[in-house]
Amino acid sequence: MTRVCALMLAILVAAGGFVAGRAAAQDAIKIGFFAPLTGFAAADGASAKHSAEIAVEEINVAGGIKGRKVELVVYDDRHDSKEAVALATKLVEKDGVVGIVSGSYSMPSRVTAPIFAKAGLPVTVAYAVHPDVTKAGPCVFRNGFLGQVEGAAGAESAVKLLKAKRIAVLTIKNDFGLVAGAAFIERARKLGAEIVSEQQYPLGEKEFGPYLTKLKDQPIDLIYHTSYYNEGSLIARKARELGIKALLEGTEGIDSPKYLELAGAAAEGTTFTTNLNRDDPRAEVQGFLRKYAAKAGTGADMVGASAYDAVKILVRGIEVGGTDPKAICGALQNLRDYPAITGKISKFTKGEVTKPVQIQIVRDGKIRSFGVIDNPDVITPPVQ
Amino acid sequence: MLLQQLVNGLTVGSLYALMALGLTMVYGVLRVLHIAHAAVFTLGAYGGLWAFQATGSFWAALAAAMASAVLAGLAMERWVYWPLLAKPPIATLIASIGVFIGLEEVFRIVAGPQPYSLDVPLLLPDVRVGPVLVTAPQLLVIAVTAALLGALWLFIARTPLGLALRATSQDRDMAAACGMNVRRVVTLNFALGSALAGAAGVLVGIYYNSVSPTMGGVTGYKGLAIIVLGGMGSIPGTVLGALLVGVVETILISLVDFALPRDAWAFLAMIAVFLFRPQGLLGR
Amino acid sequence: MYILTVATFCGIYAILTLGLNTITGLAGQISLGHAAFFGVGAYTAAILTVSYRWDFWPALAAAVATAAAFGALIGAAAIRVREDFLAITTMGVNFVVVAVFLYFPFFGGALGIGGIPGPALFGREVAKSGFFLLVAAGVVLALAVNLWLLRSWAGLALLAVREDEDAARASGVDVRKFKIAAFTVGTALAGLAGAFYASFLTFISAGDFGFPFSITILCMLVFGGIGTNRGAIAGAVVLGVLPELFRFMADYRMLTYGTILLLLMRFQPAGLLGDESAVWRALRKRRGRGVSPGARAFQ
Repeated sequence: MTRVCALMLAILVAAGGFVAGRAAAQDAIKIGFFAPLTGFAAADGASAKHSAEIAVEEINVAGGIKGRKVELVVYDDRHDSKEAVALATKLVEKDGVVGIVSGSYSMPSRVTAPIFAKAGLPVTVAYAVHPDVTKAGPCVFRNGFLGQVEGAAGAESAVKLLKAKRIAVLTIKNDFGLVAGAAFIERARKLGAEIVSEQQYPLGEKEFGPYLTKLKDQPIDLIYHTSYYNEGSLIARKARELGIKALLEGTEGIDSPKYLELAGAAAEGTTFTTNLNRDDPRAEVQGFLRKYAAKAGTGADMVGASAYDAVKILVRGIEVGGTDPKAICGALQNLRDYPAITGKISKFTKGEVTKPVQIQIVRDGKIRSFGVIDNPDVITPPVQ
Repeated sequence: MLLQQLVNGLTVGSLYALMALGLTMVYGVLRVLHIAHAAVFTLGAYGGLWAFQATGSFWAALAAAMASAVLAGLAMERWVYWPLLAKPPIATLIASIGVFIGLEEVFRIVAGPQPYSLDVPLLLPDVRVGPVLVTAPQLLVIAVTAALLGALWLFIARTPLGLALRATSQDRDMAAACGMNVRRVVTLNFALGSALAGAAGVLVGIYYNSVSPTMGGVTGYKGLAIIVLGGMGSIPGTVLGALLVGVVETILISLVDFALPRDAWAFLAMIAVFLFRPQGLLGR
Repeated sequence: MYILTVATFCGIYAILTLGLNTITGLAGQISLGHAAFFGVGAYTAAILTVSYRWDFWPALAAAVATAAAFGALIGAAAIRVREDFLAITTMGVNFVVVAVFLYFPFFGGALGIGGIPGPALFGREVAKSGFFLLVAAGVVLALAVNLWLLRSWAGLALLAVREDEDAARASGVDVRKFKIAAFTVGTALAGLAGAFYASFLTFISAGDFGFPFSITILCMLVFGGIGTNRGAIAGAVVLGVLPELFRFMADYRMLTYGTILLLLMRFQPAGLLGDESAVWRALRKRRGRGVSPGARAFQ
């Protein structure tokens, strides 16, 4: 009799443990996440993923959201629209997520935003720049800057902080380049500078000899380029190789230790507009920088920091609103003065942030703080 | 300024030439499009990178690049191209694509997706000839290319194996009928072409200071346009085509403010040549 | 809806592979630029519905017509050129067409075209399931066109051209006309797929139609069994579904894809369901059917 009782007790305990375990697992709050993990943009995808994982780890170590753990459902979009649409429908239907974080570029973000919007799921976008992304619905929130804002801030920095009067503009022929470049030119002219040259080059361009040779013998104070670190580092190197002494200013595209590595000595003195301030004394910022370096083996970049914030912002929405997607959306719409590591967000206006733009500079081989643009004229996103 | 752009163009063209020669040589003997050649190029770049990181020597990097490329090329010839010789050409094409995709992924998985810097300190000076500046990296590329092409020419024109190469690319069956060891010639073609691609890979890595898994794609596609432009199977045609494309691309960008991607220019040039000379510039 | 989405994509891919089969499988012209015509159809439909406020159905017809016109043009060029050169020429066309989409603001430039409306029937927007049926109808249409071509005199001529161009010409076949016809039909189908794609995604950009996608379509066709319609559909379905099934091994997905292609070509170049493939022969033994007339040259 005792043996049977003992056996039954054992079974009960095991069953109880099993049920409890499953309940705990089921208790996890799922958040969707997508980024280009393979393909030409894989480096940024990896950065975004590492950072998102760091964010989730921090949240779970601190007890999760009201005791429930957060779980990331990660997808690779390969920077392909078809992949993005397929994974979006899967997230919406099969994965039981309460919200999504886009750690990806504009194209996948833009094509999936309407799908999430139709399903009523809130989305936080880390760094994609296309203006249409937030227009998909009232529950799409972008952590990064609009191209217009960044371009205008770049002009403020170039003309007011760096005192440049004759500027050459070299933009990449994609959505980011076009929009930021146009905004830069408009603002710079308004501030009294002269745009001596406007050139555009295709994504993936490696040979900048032809573009820079044209600028070699003209008196130019500053070259503004909206490139990613591959092109940006080549522009810097070639410019110095040709003996061009003008200052170089870039955008968040070159906010990466890779820029320093690939440009070498030519990177010295480059300034760029971005959202991450490496000299920010706040513990969260320095903590993230440390953890990222430990996890990924290289320094953090704008993409990573933005992805970290995008996850944390969504989680904040869940903390306040619970797990009902509509409530999360409302919570984010009412978010005020959120201390993101990429800059304090006063609020979201139609999904766009009002956030100061950091100007960072490369000094002695390191990225340091140079200035901040917080003129409301410049940083308020141009949405009604 | 035009002269300066000419120098820029010739430098770029030299890199294209080294890359495209392997394509044309393989086509010459096997009549197949060696899409995976772009992966051989990238492997050469990584081989050179690894050797440079280990030894700090440019020559070691160049040697390692060429050696690793040759090994890769020979492996492909042995396990992919030769066995598929009797099958329809489209099978070889798709197999080649599979190898290319697979290898790009292997590079990404093993070495990581982010680009590596290949900052080789050059002991060459910048050369000034009047208003024209030939920077040290440009000088390196042009000099190494000229040396390699010179060596190739000597080999093909002056050695019996070189003669066998020319004969086999003209008419494979006839060459076999004359008693030539066609297999050996095919292998030789792969070896030489791959060696050149490996050199191109490490030179591109140095010139643009970046080695990444996807670096082969863009140059690879352009290489295909170039070999058609120059005349498929013709070595001098390919060299001429490569230099031409390099120069034309560069000058167009400096004159016209119309930023079409370089690939598009190369293909447009190819199509333009096609309309007037369907066999390519120096093709048969 | 997830399954419907994947199924709809497979349907669009199938229309593309069937169209490519007409050009490359039936007429033996290797086209490495099929995605360009896909893009022409998509952009035509997108621009007409977004900028000019056309309805879906006339825009669809226009997309097919425009892509076909382009195809006829390329076909006319194809006649001047030898087989291997044609492959690279079509590749070049792909690059140039994508560059045009990317650089001219008329096509949305780098920003692409968004807000493309879906089809409407009787004033109401068609639901996801309805859209899938529409695409399925497209696949049936493509199949029907291919079968008709095969069985008709045009088909016989095309086969003759594929097997031996010179002999065909000697027999009085107007080789030029049939090459152009094959291109036109194949690219018209690509245009159809493009119009579907544009409404389905509601947002297109030049990057969707690049050379890598042309390669993907060709791989699907060869994987399934080039020269056969069943192969075209099978390849589209299998390679359309596989990435979804393999998501769990996301990091190794593309590596697996490349390896599969290589191994398949090495050991079964007829593809999954080609005439000489192990699978098809096993199936045939059960049914006692003959060889598909379309596939002979690819064994």
